[in-house]
Amino acid sequence: MGVLTLDILTTAAILFAVAAGLMIILGVMKLINFAHGAFLTTGGYVAYLTGAAGISPWLSIPLAGVLGMAAGLVIERVIVRPLYARPLDAILATWGLGIVIGQVITLTFGRGVQFAPSPLSGTTALFGVDYSAYRLAVALIAVLIAGALSALLSFTRFGLNARAVIMNETLARGLGIDSAKVRAITFGMGAGLACAAGALITPLLSVDPNMGLPWLVNSFMLVMISGVSFPSLLIASIVLGGAQVLVSTYVSPILGGMTIVALAALVLRFNPRGFSRA
Amino acid sequence: MSITHRTALTGCLVGLVVVAVAPFVLDTYLTNILIRTLFLAAVVMTVDILWGYVGILTFGQSAFFGIGAYACGLVFTHYGFGPGWALAALALALGAAAIVAAGTGWLAFFHGASPLYASIITLALPIVLTQLIFSGGNWTGSSSGLSGFPTYYWDLEVWFWLAGVFLVLTTTGGWLLVRSDFGRVLVAIRENEERCAYLGIPVSRIKIMLMILSAMIASVAGFGYAAFSNVVAPELAGFQLGTELLIWTALGGRATLLGPVIAAIGIDTMSSWLSGAMPFLWKLLTGIAFVVVIVLLPRGFAPLVGALWRKLRPRHAVAAPVVKLTLAPVKLMMQSNESASPPLRIEHLSRRYGSLHVLRDVNLVGNATELLGIIGPNGAGKTTLMRCISDGNERTDGKIHVNGVEIGRGSPQHVVGLGVGRSFQNTNLFDTLTVGECLKLARYRLDGARLFDRGDTVALPQPAMDILQATGLDQKLGEETRNLSHGMKRGLELAMVLAAEPSVLLLDEPTAGLTRPERMVIGKVLTRLTREFGLCIVIIEHDLDFVREISNRVVVLHQGAILMEGTVDEVVASDLVKAVYAGHTEKKAA
Repeated sequence: MGVLTLDILTTAAILFAVAAGLMIILGVMKLINFAHGAFLTTGGYVAYLTGAAGISPWLSIPLAGVLGMAAGLVIERVIVRPLYARPLDAILATWGLGIVIGQVITLTFGRGVQFAPSPLSGTTALFGVDYSAYRLAVALIAVLIAGALSALLSFTRFGLNARAVIMNETLARGLGIDSAKVRAITFGMGAGLACAAGALITPLLSVDPNMGLPWLVNSFMLVMISGVSFPSLLIASIVLGGAQVLVSTYVSPILGGMTIVALAALVLRFNPRGFSRA
Repeated sequence: MSITHRTALTGCLVGLVVVAVAPFVLDTYLTNILIRTLFLAAVVMTVDILWGYVGILTFGQSAFFGIGAYACGLVFTHYGFGPGWALAALALALGAAAIVAAGTGWLAFFHGASPLYASIITLALPIVLTQLIFSGGNWTGSSSGLSGFPTYYWDLEVWFWLAGVFLVLTTTGGWLLVRSDFGRVLVAIRENEERCAYLGIPVSRIKIMLMILSAMIASVAGFGYAAFSNVVAPELAGFQLGTELLIWTALGGRATLLGPVIAAIGIDTMSSWLSGAMPFLWKLLTGIAFVVVIVLLPRGFAPLVGALWRKLRPRHAVAAPVVKLTLAPVKLMMQSNESASPPLRIEHLSRRYGSLHVLRDVNLVGNATELLGIIGPNGAGKTTLMRCISDGNERTDGKIHVNGVEIGRGSPQHVVGLGVGRSFQNTNLFDTLTVGECLKLARYRLDGARLFDRGDTVALPQPAMDILQATGLDQKLGEETRNLSHGMKRGLELAMVLAAEPSVLLLDEPTAGLTRPERMVIGKVLTRLTREFGLCIVIIEHDLDFVREISNRVVVLHQGAILMEGTVDEVVASDLVKAVYAGHTEKKAA
């Protein structure tokens, strides 16, 4: 029971960390970043490289974040900005970008599976059970990210501008807010978060050129169901992540893999607003 | 025989001849590759109809290809082989694809669903399906798939002809479909789905039907491919193939049908050649080409080729076939006169957004032959009232009866079916459609649309004719609506609403931005509509003089509640109304 609870909580935290970058971009830019999966993969390879170079695995997370942010700024300028008026095309272009990133990674590292060293090994005793220390650390980091993002949106000038753009972009521009800059920074942050999340989860799993895809679909479902709000994303992660853990444990891991997608699709069919009013 | 049909027949025959000759010209290797490619090209054709014409960005068409392939593989491996079994397997392929497509469509398409949501459902479909195949154990062959099952070991030419004829026939069918009247309805859905719903077009049902149809074509293609190649693998149903289909469509040029088919044949054949030599680099290059095309050439390469073609061969301008107007027999409009219950009855209507009450306890009756003016300051809830009447999902509480029928939680097209017509505050028409096509669209609910042909007449009721004549639109039936003046757009909007023969007409500032003479014309038509045709018209208007000229009764809405009701003069004289409007009178004249 203790293990199951911890599984649910850490799974939810991981899902939250992975989906946060996607949600920021959707919230401010009204755009689904289908390169999200490729950014996660890139973060995973950053973790693998830092591990191979003998640098402390803890550093791989901020390193991936910075790298992702820089790449995000460039990508926003070149690919995303011309497509603001065509959201479905933006999906395709970011998807194509994902293919390009995936192929570059394949060409560089090969198709095989690689592993990254874990910053924390062994287990910690918690609630009377021994549990993977790194999974607990990941959960803690996810909570920190949630706090930092909420603080950023609530207490900073950028957050105020971003919220203004979310609510009414035309009016925000009229008030002198440089919405193009807000969008650029947002995309950079979203990409950075995605890369950092990739580096964060890689030590738990492994990394291969297609690792991001299942995460992309799950994140997308979580974001769709929670609207643009961090608290409801947290709730969605716990509810759907919990369902995933339960199905994987008691029914079959393969069916568990599709639980989030199937459940979210059904919830949205009957209540298109999902959890956003909850 | 129309020009469209003649072109289709010619194209079809040319295609068949090319298919018949090709195996004798090509070498074995290329023929082999092309058989797979031709099957896939038929699937790409369906992707282009769904995405290019209707605007459904689908990642999941490969799932149906996979369903067809697995139907073949599973039946031949586990149950039996022979003509009877082959037919049974084909029936299974069609049935399973149709059922899965219907389920997917039901999930993805409903009034108010976002196109993003539909896309992600289609992305989830192949992922879920592949997972199911993986978990199928020996029955589905899990990750290695099924191979070596008995099949017809016909000559390569035979398979090539089968695949080619299938592609040519389905593409001809698709080509006729998108050029028919029904094809115009599809384009209208892509351009402005909301507006289509308010014209009474069953948008979701049309999308689901198309989804089923294209799934069945994809499934047959998958079946054919499996029977030919003797191998089925989870990749055939996977999202990777699904996105490749999209890429080919984008590169070839969406909404051109032939462009994607040609792109599919070209790129897939090239891949088979090049991927042996440089597998990942080739995919990288197509990926880059895809991004560049999406950003810089959103319509793909086909329009470029088309423009070049026109430059080389300046063609004699073929005038767009202009439709003729005929008079529709009056049916619905007069009936509302005799029925006992009033056309519109609103009881205790309220609408809340969270804690904000936009409408509270509104009670209102609209009678036949009555023109009811709704006035009130900005933010009084006038437009929300219209929205609540025309969409059953809008209101928080209360009941609305149209011609004695409670609208319940019906979608806009359901409410339109009960006899409500609604015009919008802003003129949102269909930019690339002509005036005549817009009018046909407005008649879809009553007259339907031809599936593989274009009608050359459109029957309109007298009031719609009047509007067209008064605004001079009857001389511009072949004009695209984006080229119309503001006044003409207003006129067309009104004519479209009237073409659907409503008994309750909801007009949201129909004369905003119009000149005085234009207003007079519209005012005259509206008066005639109530007097001669017995309509109940509810009109939102800021110009009190205009309201005075045409209206018998005025309702003043203030902060979501009815402030007073009476004739225009009573209302204007009222101190209460003056107080509400004080300081607001010069605001918002238009």
